[in-house]
Amino acid sequence: MSSFLVRRLLHGIVVVWGVVTAVFFLVRLTGDPVVFLVDQSATREEIEHTRRLLGLDRPMHEQYLAFLLAVPRGDFGTSIREKRPAMGLVLERFWPATVELALAAAVLSTLLAVPLGVVAATHKDRTADHLSRIASLLLQSMPGFWLGLLLILLFAVELHGLLPAYGAGTWRHLILPAVALAAAPLAQNARLVRAGMLEVQQQDYVRTARAKGAREYVVLYRHALKNAAIPFITAAGLSLGFMLSGTIIIETVFAWPGLGRLIVQAVPGRDFPVIQAGVFVFALIFVVLNLAVDLLYAVVDPRVRLS
Amino acid sequence: MRATVWKTTWRLVAAFLALAAGPSEAQTVDGAVIDPDAELVVAVPDDTTNMDPRIGMGSTRSNYIRQVFESLVDVDAQGRPMPGLALSWKPVGDLTWEFILRRGVTFHNGEAFNADTVLFNLDRMFRKNLDRWGIKDVAAGTSFEKVYPTVARWEKTGDYTVRIHTSEPVPNLWDFIGREPLVPREYTAKNGVEGLNERPVGTGPWKMAAWKRGDSMRFERYEGYWGPPPLFKRLRFQVIPEAGARLAALRAGQVTLVDAVPPLDAGVLGREPAFKVSSSVQKIYCRIYLNARPKDKFDSGGKDGLFTDPRVRLALNYAVNKEGIVQKIFHGYAQANASPVSTVSNGYAAQEPYAYDVKRARALLAEAGWKDAGADGVLRKDGETLTLQLLFPAKHYGQAFDETTAAVAEMLKAVGVQVVIKPIDFGTLLQTVTKGTLPYNGGFSSCRTSNNLDADDYLRDWTAITLINWAPYPPDLADLYRATRREVDPQKRLKLLADLQRRVRDWAPVVSLYQEVKIYAASARVLRFTPLTDLHMDFRGVALRK
Repeated sequence: MSSFLVRRLLHGIVVVWGVVTAVFFLVRLTGDPVVFLVDQSATREEIEHTRRLLGLDRPMHEQYLAFLLAVPRGDFGTSIREKRPAMGLVLERFWPATVELALAAAVLSTLLAVPLGVVAATHKDRTADHLSRIASLLLQSMPGFWLGLLLILLFAVELHGLLPAYGAGTWRHLILPAVALAAAPLAQNARLVRAGMLEVQQQDYVRTARAKGAREYVVLYRHALKNAAIPFITAAGLSLGFMLSGTIIIETVFAWPGLGRLIVQAVPGRDFPVIQAGVFVFALIFVVLNLAVDLLYAVVDPRVRLS
Repeated sequence: MRATVWKTTWRLVAAFLALAAGPSEAQTVDGAVIDPDAELVVAVPDDTTNMDPRIGMGSTRSNYIRQVFESLVDVDAQGRPMPGLALSWKPVGDLTWEFILRRGVTFHNGEAFNADTVLFNLDRMFRKNLDRWGIKDVAAGTSFEKVYPTVARWEKTGDYTVRIHTSEPVPNLWDFIGREPLVPREYTAKNGVEGLNERPVGTGPWKMAAWKRGDSMRFERYEGYWGPPPLFKRLRFQVIPEAGARLAALRAGQVTLVDAVPPLDAGVLGREPAFKVSSSVQKIYCRIYLNARPKDKFDSGGKDGLFTDPRVRLALNYAVNKEGIVQKIFHGYAQANASPVSTVSNGYAAQEPYAYDVKRARALLAEAGWKDAGADGVLRKDGETLTLQLLFPAKHYGQAFDETTAAVAEMLKAVGVQVVIKPIDFGTLLQTVTKGTLPYNGGFSSCRTSNNLDADDYLRDWTAITLINWAPYPPDLADLYRATRREVDPQKRLKLLADLQRRVRDWAPVVSLYQEVKIYAASARVLRFTPLTDLHMDFRGVALRK
């Protein structure tokens, strides 16, 4: 177990290093951020002076080395757009706005997916199954921004301000964006649970459990679901990762001041420090979540050995 | 019985207190009782990145900054100058301007506004005498010292009088100096740019109370404001990037006013009694810039720009159906303009429109030698095709702009111009044109705006090599432009400006597309909101019905 952890942590460091390295060089291919900092009458000398101030005049390998040495200190430089420390800006948006939204959506999409998937599987080819599959199909194929606007029109406009149309701050603000964000992963998870349950229901140990006279909910939720959960756990872990790394469209529709919008604004503005800090945080999230998912496999299915 | 006695006693006490307080005097505006303690929530598409005016005054930033900071020269709803922190301004001789300042003005922190404040701000603007204030450098959205090198020095001749001396006559000095928002001297020297950005302190009607970046900025009425105080207590700029969500928030009653309403929605909202739709022409002027730089004068890849012949540029103007674009794409919420100056700038002179006339366009192109259309319909001259490589900053100026660019490309093709549209990000466009690497047959569609009131800001476009100058003035126009810059007599200068606009219209340095009209939608509770032609909103005199 401990050797597994050490190995995965080392893998994680390599992954994060690879991602930040790729981003470091890729953002520099997009062009020069100095054009956003000088006015239109700037001379070549002034442009060079500004590049010097940003350290962009130094050879690429020097810039990269300085960047690598600063990363462990959490120093990603100063935002070109906002003139504030980049990592501070990223963390300000990440916590609490993005974390709140992502966790709420993850809880919704996970908790609702299990009963929906189980009911669909146990009522295969009956009305409940058809309804569940149609609902899943609709939720998965509905664009997030469209669903978001529909929810706003229904709950904020038609129902006379029952829920806020925008912003963050209270649990009431959280409901609509969390529902809009949870819709697609909920549908995906429900389908995965259904498929997994249909598969394991044919297994001998389920038949044995039933033959031993175990109650149906014990058979379903203790014996069958545990074994059907592996693909579902993987998908849920990854979708939480996507949610935590900023859900740009939902944040835009609901004016949610999260990380996704910050990065979207940073990209066209060539705000290298913010892009690098943001992607570093994304990479870290994915590495940690992947590790957590792997550990969870062993908890759910004892046949999985972490060695 | 006891309960009845208590109730009667309470009622008597309440009635006595009400009588003692006297009749309440409800404030009214336009016959409606207003709520002086209300909050007005404005849904805006974007947040500002800075509050220090020296860093930049783009359209989004200006809206935030001008709530807190004021300038010497204010602006009315028609875009005309009016007294702001200066009561008056006038030239004293050919080489001096005098500003008489308003007395009794204080910044939000209590610091007094006087001639020293203005001198300090001039030092910041022109980056002079900074050591005196312990300031190392000033971030500069506009480098005043370069753009206006004729401004030589400044002095105070009294606590409320400032004189600015120039090396040659500068008739529009009142504008470019006067429109710059002024910051407090002591506060800025002590707290620096960070202080101005995080906790801005101005003389404006609104004090910044809180700023949650990317989300909202809250303001409170400044009770010590020199003018009539705002008629409601709190103001909030709420960032809602998506237009549909902004309008939904208005319909839900969760915001009071919406900025940047899409033209298509304006018509629908305008028919509903619960909302008021208002609009105003803006100084945002969208055009196609063409490479007309001669190779011997500028770094243009060793080749003359393909569009150096004014007849070709004029032809392209006649080939574009501007009224069609205004009506079909903008639903009437835009304006065609044949003058190089915005219709709401001081000194604007209306010009004969470029009529949509394909025949005339073809005739002009033929006159310029472009006549041998091949099987593909593209015109040729000396074996070369008339091709325009059009760089286009997609998704930067909005959907209507993107649609306009595509429509214009089709219209130009109809007269024999091969248009190759190259969608790029705005940063790449800036980099291309700044470095002068636009192809010789290149052009780009873009919009420009102005923080100034005077026509000069637009006519300057074709003087020095600036980002947008791809068709430098020929010598006669350059002379005429210089004359407008030296003429101090207002009437004579207006005549010169009108003459220059007429000649620039015929010389056609750009393909003029449209001037933007900004649309606002407000709840019926909002009284007396008048959109400005300037980049910001003005809430002085605005009230909220109770």
